[in-house]
Amino acid sequence: MELWREIFIHGMNMFNLIIVSYFFIGNGVYTLLMVLSLATVWLYNRRLAYQSLDEIRESSVTPPVTIVIPAWNEEQIVLETTSSVLRTDYPEVEVVVVDDGSTDSTLRRLVEHFHLIKMDLIYRPHLPTKPVRGFYMNPDMPNLLVVSKERGGKPDALNAGINMCRTPYFCTLDADSILEPDALLRLMRPVIHSPVNTVASGGIVRVMNGCQVRDGRVTKVALPKSRLERFQVVEYLRSFLFGRTGWDLLGGTLIVSGAFAVFHRETVMEVGGFSQDTVTEDMDLIVQMHHWAVKNKRRLKMSFTSDPVCWTECPATLKMLGKQRRRWQLGLCQTLWKHSEMLFNRKYGLVGNFSFPFHLYVEALGAVVEFLGYFMVPLAIIFAMVPARLYLLFVLLSLAYGGLLSIGAVLLEELTYRRYPGYRDLATLLWFAFIENIGYRQLVLYYRFEGVLRFLTGSRHWEKVTHVGVAQ
Amino acid sequence: MPFLIEHVTVVVFALFTFLLLGNLFLVGIVIVRRKRRQRFFERLDALRERYGPVIAGVLSGRIAYEQGLWELREIAGTDRLFMLERLCLENRPASVEEPVLRRLCEDLGLVKTWQERLAGQMDKTSLRRALMDPPGWFIRVRFLSFLIRSKSAENLGLIRHGPSWPLLAKALEDPSPDLQGVAARALAAIRHPGSFPALVERLHKAVLEPGLLLSVRTLKSALVGFPLECARELLPSLRHANPRIRFLAADVVREMVEREAAGNPDFCLDQQSGNEELATAFLTKLAFDVNPDVRAQAAYVIACLADPRSGPVLLGLLKDSVWFVRLHAVRALAREKFASHAGRVETALRDSNWRVREAAVRALRAFGPAGLDRLMAHFLTTEDRYSQEQIADEFQRAGLIPQLVAQCAADGNGQETAVLSRLVEMGKTSYITSLLDLGEGNRELRRQFLRNLGKKSAPQIPQWVRPVALPVPDSGIRPQAPSTLAPKHPNGTKG
Repeated sequence: MELWREIFIHGMNMFNLIIVSYFFIGNGVYTLLMVLSLATVWLYNRRLAYQSLDEIRESSVTPPVTIVIPAWNEEQIVLETTSSVLRTDYPEVEVVVVDDGSTDSTLRRLVEHFHLIKMDLIYRPHLPTKPVRGFYMNPDMPNLLVVSKERGGKPDALNAGINMCRTPYFCTLDADSILEPDALLRLMRPVIHSPVNTVASGGIVRVMNGCQVRDGRVTKVALPKSRLERFQVVEYLRSFLFGRTGWDLLGGTLIVSGAFAVFHRETVMEVGGFSQDTVTEDMDLIVQMHHWAVKNKRRLKMSFTSDPVCWTECPATLKMLGKQRRRWQLGLCQTLWKHSEMLFNRKYGLVGNFSFPFHLYVEALGAVVEFLGYFMVPLAIIFAMVPARLYLLFVLLSLAYGGLLSIGAVLLEELTYRRYPGYRDLATLLWFAFIENIGYRQLVLYYRFEGVLRFLTGSRHWEKVTHVGVAQ
Repeated sequence: MPFLIEHVTVVVFALFTFLLLGNLFLVGIVIVRRKRRQRFFERLDALRERYGPVIAGVLSGRIAYEQGLWELREIAGTDRLFMLERLCLENRPASVEEPVLRRLCEDLGLVKTWQERLAGQMDKTSLRRALMDPPGWFIRVRFLSFLIRSKSAENLGLIRHGPSWPLLAKALEDPSPDLQGVAARALAAIRHPGSFPALVERLHKAVLEPGLLLSVRTLKSALVGFPLECARELLPSLRHANPRIRFLAADVVREMVEREAAGNPDFCLDQQSGNEELATAFLTKLAFDVNPDVRAQAAYVIACLADPRSGPVLLGLLKDSVWFVRLHAVRALAREKFASHAGRVETALRDSNWRVREAAVRALRAFGPAGLDRLMAHFLTTEDRYSQEQIADEFQRAGLIPQLVAQCAADGNGQETAVLSRLVEMGKTSYITSLLDLGEGNRELRRQFLRNLGKKSAPQIPQWVRPVALPVPDSGIRPQAPSTLAPKHPNGTKG
């Protein structure tokens, strides 16, 4: 009995140590990212004063871009999205909408709205995909092509779009998203101005819920009404404005949101396109390109910029939020597992030695540590291994730290883009940034924990988030 | 001293207090920042309201220049220059307004300030002024000064201030890549011929010194903006030992020539005085360069030469061993003046690379009705499946099917009917079916079309016509289906 008690105490001590180290390492890196991002985003914003978009818009050397939109049962919003990208302010843009075997009226709506005609075009499957059923074009609108194919999942649909793409760069855009008119120009700026081959360029994804949308344009920015969506506004700001900006500055980009990103077509084809191995094909592609660059001794750049804006619908219900977060966590675990040889591999530089371990320890395993912590630490208190007062203080410390990071994200927004103009909106954002760690964080943590469990059980299920058109 | 649990508690408490204060501090910054921005925009809006019409009036000539200048000089405050800059450069001036705007900026002292800042001669501003004046910080903090120098370069480019080009050319050597890029763009906007060699030199450096932070694309974009007369300055680059430099130089010339040709279909590079040497370099050297990229870029420039050698040289490039050289050669030939070479372009329809085949199809279409006829004839006679597929693809993408269907309905023995028949044999029926499904308005067309097409002997035709015609609730069309399904003699007439 004594032996078991010893083992238990030892185990609890070990676990507490892990929690404390997770807390300090995780938050330490986040703080570093926040400080770096504050400086970078502020500086970037100042630099925009002399980086006119006219030069890109009017230059004959600006490369043409194809926007690839994979759509599966997106009848609610696909017309808005397609209309918005067709009006994109960019010198030469083609749009390929890939209907991935929708069972609703996605295809019919597109055909009727844009007066498309079914054609039997050549399909060259450089990247293998499920069979294509047909192509739809309007000869009077030659820059729009709709590809109808059998259901194969988002990566498969994206690969079909890449197969039909003829431009050196393509932009992936989720069918539930709306681009700002100049977003593509802004997204291509780092590609055009970089002396190094930029193979991926990501922009910021903002929450469209609550905003006013007219004719495929966000005409009025406002906060959503429900608390769940407001929490996500803060979360997106934090994730994009300082998470990704910070990693970009350090050169450790592992995630570029496929909801809105530009890729170099040839490089993507070299690495085999979007993989079906994981449910987060965008992250997998980025990691795959890091691999490819090291293997082929190529100098590549993957950039993130915070001013190209894509508006997207965030889940409006707990059920949908759960689906989304489980999938993200599952995809993260799958991708890290798939590319585990990068962990502390010197060949991959900062990505292998810093970014990858951070994503593994803090982002992936952190969900388990934090989730179990909520149960194990009270247990330790019950067994008098940790004083209750210290536990309480620790909880408060963690809330204050979380609040600091979220308020930091709101500060970044205020220092730079100020998309939410009213004082009331600002106060609401600050309030939700502060209380995000009480309840919402734990809820998301639960979904993330479920995602890890799904990974451990070998699930590869792609949970579809259904959008209901929450913009006004 | 042992590290007791009490010490941990104190440390955690201290951290908590610190973070809580940090939260409050950040909230404070957010609110203060919002209030400052609000004040800034209120002032800007007030100035816009008061002086916006004055500037617009001066630029358009509605307000006397001296009066407008006098009014604008009224603007006071520590942020005077900043606000004047905002107001003057807020809207892009029309080309006729540019000289007035330049003069206005000079007389208001803005140009002098921008030039001084660009040259690095910045007044040390007081801390108070730095806090009050938005760009004050960038002047005060040395490592941020590139921000204000870059902005100054941008402004000089925006008003196309010609006399500033030497300063901007010097800025190309600045350690800041931002300033280098902005200076390159400003020089392209000013287009002073004297600055072209500086940009070319920078392009050489960008290629030869890989560590350079200025992108080649930025420099190329700047060079392309210059008038074609400057292109002869690229002759040394076109003869450079480095193949990449030769490629970039050829690419820049191509872009310039394309721009000229876009506005003038009769444009010929070698008919403009001073370009003879350039034209000869492309005809005799670059078309045979060891670097295929150079040969590819040369093709288009050669297409814009009046020299009789240009045709044969281009046709030679059509047989190049590298596919993208052939591609560019075909694209270069896609203009009516080369219609006499249609036969040679037609050979590219059988190229092993699909992009060359596609370009050949488009080139033939660019030759006008004669080219289209040749394309259809090739489509009907060729045994090359890839070639057929490519042409069928183009017929659909270009929206030629309605035209073919109308011709077929009008004349059942024409080439168009044969083309449609071949399309049906190939299974490329979706477009035709869509057209026939368009409704009552097309009844006569549909009836004639099915009748004429039904005369064709290929076995695929009745198989397709039956599902198309039978379900149609149109008494004029339905009977066409059984008639097309009837057995046929080998010559295609009904038995």
